[in-house]
Formats: sequence, structure tokens, C-alpha cells
Amino acid sequence: MKSVLKLIRRFVGIMLLSSALLIILNFILLFLYTVSQLPNSQPWQTAQEVADNLFQNDNGYVLPEDITIELKKNDTWAIFIDNATMRVVWRTDNLPETVPMSYSISDIAHLTRGYIDGYPTFTGEAENGLVVLGYPKDSFWKHMWPSWDYSLIANLPKTFLSVLVINIALIFIIYIIANSRLLKSVKPIVGGIQSLPTEETIHIKEKGLLSELAQSINKTSEILHSQRKQLRKKETARANWIAGVSHDIRTPLSMVMGYASQLESDNGLSEDDRKKAAVIVKQSRRMRNLINDLNLASKLEYNMQPINPARQNLVAVVRQVVVDFINMDIDDKHPIAWETDEALTVCLADIDKDLIKRAVSNLIQNCMNHNEQGCHIFVRVTTGENNCLITVDDDGAGATDEQIERLNHSPHYMLCDENTSMQRHGLGLLIVKQIAAAHGGTTGIGHSSYGGFSVKLALPMEE
Amino acid sequence: MNSDYLKQKRILLVDDEQELLDMVVSILQKDGFQNIKTAKTAAKAIAISETYQPEFAILDVMLPDDTGFNLIKRLKSTFDYPVLFLTARGEDDDKFRGFGLGADDYMVKPFLPKELLFRINAILRRSYKDENPLVKLPGCEIDFDRAEVIKNGKHISLTAKEHNILAALYRNAGRIVTIDALCEAAWGDNPFGYENSLMAHIRRIREKIEANPSSPVALITIKGLGYKLMVEGK
Repeated sequence: MKSVLKLIRRFVGIMLLSSALLIILNFILLFLYTVSQLPNSQPWQTAQEVADNLFQNDNGYVLPEDITIELKKNDTWAIFIDNATMRVVWRTDNLPETVPMSYSISDIAHLTRGYIDGYPTFTGEAENGLVVLGYPKDSFWKHMWPSWDYSLIANLPKTFLSVLVINIALIFIIYIIANSRLLKSVKPIVGGIQSLPTEETIHIKEKGLLSELAQSINKTSEILHSQRKQLRKKETARANWIAGVSHDIRTPLSMVMGYASQLESDNGLSEDDRKKAAVIVKQSRRMRNLINDLNLASKLEYNMQPINPARQNLVAVVRQVVVDFINMDIDDKHPIAWETDEALTVCLADIDKDLIKRAVSNLIQNCMNHNEQGCHIFVRVTTGENNCLITVDDDGAGATDEQIERLNHSPHYMLCDENTSMQRHGLGLLIVKQIAAAHGGTTGIGHSSYGGFSVKLALPMEE
Repeated sequence: MNSDYLKQKRILLVDDEQELLDMVVSILQKDGFQNIKTAKTAAKAIAISETYQPEFAILDVMLPDDTGFNLIKRLKSTFDYPVLFLTARGEDDDKFRGFGLGADDYMVKPFLPKELLFRINAILRRSYKDENPLVKLPGCEIDFDRAEVIKNGKHISLTAKEHNILAALYRNAGRIVTIDALCEAAWGDNPFGYENSLMAHIRRIREKIEANPSSPVALITIKGLGYKLMVEGK
């Protein structure tokens, strides 16, 4: 479920980032707008400018021409209220008729904060009175009660931050609620897809936002399961067929082998007849080995051979195989030399003893089968960096580079579904490779320093 | 050591194939066994067992009226004689089952007569001790029951380990026994690092059994592999 968590993290991350960016953008815009509105102090400055420039001569109050033109341009009117009389003692020509000509203190207070007859008004303080500028209606909106509780202003940063945090939290909660259904639907889908490569059958509930996807996954799982089952069935049938045939052939072969063996040692027969019997014994032994090999190879291939690993001394295991061959005394044409260093008495590995014995037996038997005229066989156990090495060499006919390349890299005909005529060779080496692989080891086939064939098995050494 | 007394043992042979029975009988007779009865079914095997009192049985696993596994159970519940399975069933599970039910050995067909005889003789030797317990070696005799070597009329005692090592060698007389198998006989399962101790014991055994321990003729070293005990008459 790591991917779902990753998905949620990514969604939340994007959401938080976009919220933060949105807020920052808003602040920037607000700042720019506010800055652009700063000239709104202009009417107050103009009013003060008029108050400062209004002077009194013998004919009364006079405003310089340029300011008068400026006021007219903006369609602004102006009056000057005398401090002593509270009456208008000077005015511009464009003063609307509805503007009163005398004011009480409360009128002054009102016009300072607000309007005269709907005209936004601004005041400027002169020496003996008050200059009032009136702008066209609806040209300004005035904040008539500009006062706040002090604590409100004092706590403004804290309040602002709290609101921000609450906003973000609210956005987050709304997002989670809005997406929880989607995530709830996604989670089993992701789990299902992750489980598809495993052997188990998957069934996801086919409801929610992604029910169609769930249906497809369930169907895919069913198909895969059925294919695996069919394949397994075929493999089992094939292995059982091989096991059955090899079982049925054992009893008749016993009789061929037993009687031929008796004839071989029957002194009443002619030398020629005994030789013929010896050939029958030899060939029936080959058939027995082939049956055993075929059975084991198919079981190893289809993972039907139980592997029972245990801590074993490989030196002892290999030595026992060599001694068994010598004790069998099959013929004297293939003497076996034990070349393990006497100082190496123990090489521990986690192995199935019977299978490893089988692999080494196959290698020794191979040397014999491929050198019927006779050869010396050399067996040794050595240690590598992290592995135990079993080497079986001979000084027989050996193999060409091409043959060795093919043995090392071409698939055996049992494992190949095409071009079977090119890869036909015995099962002995295939079993050796399969056994080595089942133990996490490797098989190396090459030329022997003794002039013949060499096979080296490397098995992981136990720590 | 004379093993003629083993050839007198009564043997019961059970297999559903008449031709195989005939062949095994001929192999056994040729090796000197005289008293052999055969049965093609489990029922007949039980009947023969009751009347004939066999001292050794060779059983097939697949019989027409029962399995060899059930047959050995029934035989072992009443009689106590060694049993060898001779069958076409070569799966590990079958072997484990056979041994678990008390079989002394398990052989998978097809087989060489020589191998069958070797296994039968080994089982009989293990199960039935000779009335004359002395094992003759070149230059001395061993009395395994009394754990003694008799050399030049003198009785020399064997230690427990020496006895076990010699017994393992004697069971495979004339054949190589690996260093590891001898260590196992003396020190139990998976003995590592006892090779030097084994050599010391072999040296002491040679002092007891050999006329000239520095050039042994009874207990031979097979370099790097193990040892071989030469017994007279084998």
C-alpha cells in the first residue's frame, strides 16, 4: 500500500502548495491595488492647497487663477467658512445652489466626515476659517465612521494568522472528505494490481468510483489463475506420465538385468555368449540410469522434487560418492583419484545430501560413459571465496570448444520448445545443472588440465 | 569368518510377478540360500509367515490384495524378523515410509543381482550373529561380543571407540569405509574435525591387530578416502 500513501501525500502536497501560492498571489494583488489607490489622499491635499493659497485683499478673498482652473477642470466647487461668523465668506462660481451658506459646529463635523447634499467634501484649514472642497456626486466614497476597537487593531496579526490557519485547515478537510471516496476506491485497485503477479486469486469489490477498473482486474486475475492452473496441470500430468512410465518399466527391466547378469557369470556358457550377456547388462544399466535421470530431471524442472537442505560437510559427501564407485568395482578401466587437499577436512554447506550425491555420481558416470575405452577420473573439493567447489576432471576424449559452449549455454532438449534436434545430449549434465541451481549454485563446464573434460560445481558455503 | 550359517536362514519372498519371483529365487539359490518360500499376495504371505516362520522377508510394495506397507505392519505386529523392500516405487516419500515402518533396507528396481545379494547378506549379518563369534583377520582374531583381539594367544581388550570403528569396518569388510563414516561410527552424527583423533585410534587398533603395525595387512589405508578391513574368507 506504499503507492497509495505516496499518492495521498502527493495530492495533499499539491493542494497545500496551490493554496499557499493562491494566498501569496492575493496578498501581492492586494498590495499593488492598495498602492495604486494611495493618490486618494489627493482631495485632502487639494483642499489644504486651496486653504493655503486663499488670500484676502481689499475686495475680499481671492484664489490664484491656476488653482481655480484646476478646480474647474475637476468639476470641483469650494467654499470658505469664516471662523467667527460660521458663514460662507468666499465660494467658487460653480457652487450648487443646494449647498447651504451658513453652518453650525455639527454641520462642520458632519461635512468633515461625510457629504454636503451628496457631494463628497474635503476640508483644508486656513488662517481664519475652513476651506471646503466639494467633488461631484459619486466621485468618492467616504468612510464616515473610521474607528475600531483598539484590541482589534492590536491583535490584527494574530487574528490574521489564525484565520489563515483555519482557512488552510478547512480547505484541507474539505479536500480530504471530497477525495476520501476516490482514495477508498483506489486503495483496493492498487492492492489488486500489486497482487496480480502472485499466485493468489484476487477479488476486489466491484463498487465505488472505480468499479469498472475493479471488474477488469478481477477478470484478469481469473484468467491468470486459470492459465496458471492449466499450466500446473499440464506440468504435473507430464511429470506424472514420466514417473508412471519409468515405474512401469522398472520391473521388466529388473528381469532383463537380473537374468543377463546371471548369464554373464554363467561358466557353462561360451565366452561369446557371456560377452553378449555382458552387453545386455551394460545396456540395461544405461536404461536404468536414463529412467532415473528422466524422472528426476522432470521433477526438478517442474519443482516437484522436494529439496531437504541440511548443514553437511561437502568433503564427506563427495568422498562417500567416490568410495561408493570404487567399492562397486564396476570395471577397472576408470580409476578414480581423490585429489582433495588433506588439510581441507570440512567444507560446510546447506545442501540436500542425496541430490548432491546424485549430481557428483552423474559427473563421474559421465566420465565413464563418454570414455568407454577407459580414462582416469580426478575428483576434488576446494574452497572459493564464499563457496565450496567440487571438480570432476578426466583425461579422456574431452570435447571441442563448440561442444563446451553448447553445453554451457544451449538449453537442453527437455527444456526447449523448438529446434530439438540440435540440443540432444544426455540428461546427466542437465540434472547436475538443475541440482546446482536448486542449491543457489552454478555449474561450469570446460576443458580439463588433464586433457579431458572438466565440470566444476560451485555451491554457497555456510558461514 | 564363515557365513554359511546365514545361507540356512528361511527367506520369504513376496512379489506379484511370478517371473520376478523365479528370477530372485534363482539369484538366491545360486548364492547358496536353500530355504526360500514365495508369495504373490499379502494374504498368502501372512499364511506362510505363520506356518513357515521366516527369518527374513523381501517385500514388494504393490501387491494385488494390499500394499507392502500394510503387510509389513501386520508382519511386524506378530513377528520380528528383518525385512527388505524391493519395489519399483523409488520416491523419497515411499522410502521414508518403508524405513519408518521398520524395514531394514529399501531397494528400487531394476537392480543388479550382486547388489541385492550384498544388501541381503549385510542385513542377515547384522541381524543374526554367528554362533562362532570370532572374526578372522590376517594375523589375529576379533571377538566382537567380548570386545577383544586374540593375537598370538594373548587377549587384548578393545576400547568402546576402537570396537565401534572395527565393527563399522567389519560390516563393510573388503570395502573402503570413508573417514567420515568411521568418525560417525565412533562419535555420532555429523562429526567434524575428528580426523586426527581417528588416526590415533587407527594407530592403536593396528598395534593390537597387526603383526607389524608399520606395514599393515589387515587394516589398510586408502589415502584421503578411508580404510579397508581385510577379513579372511571374504
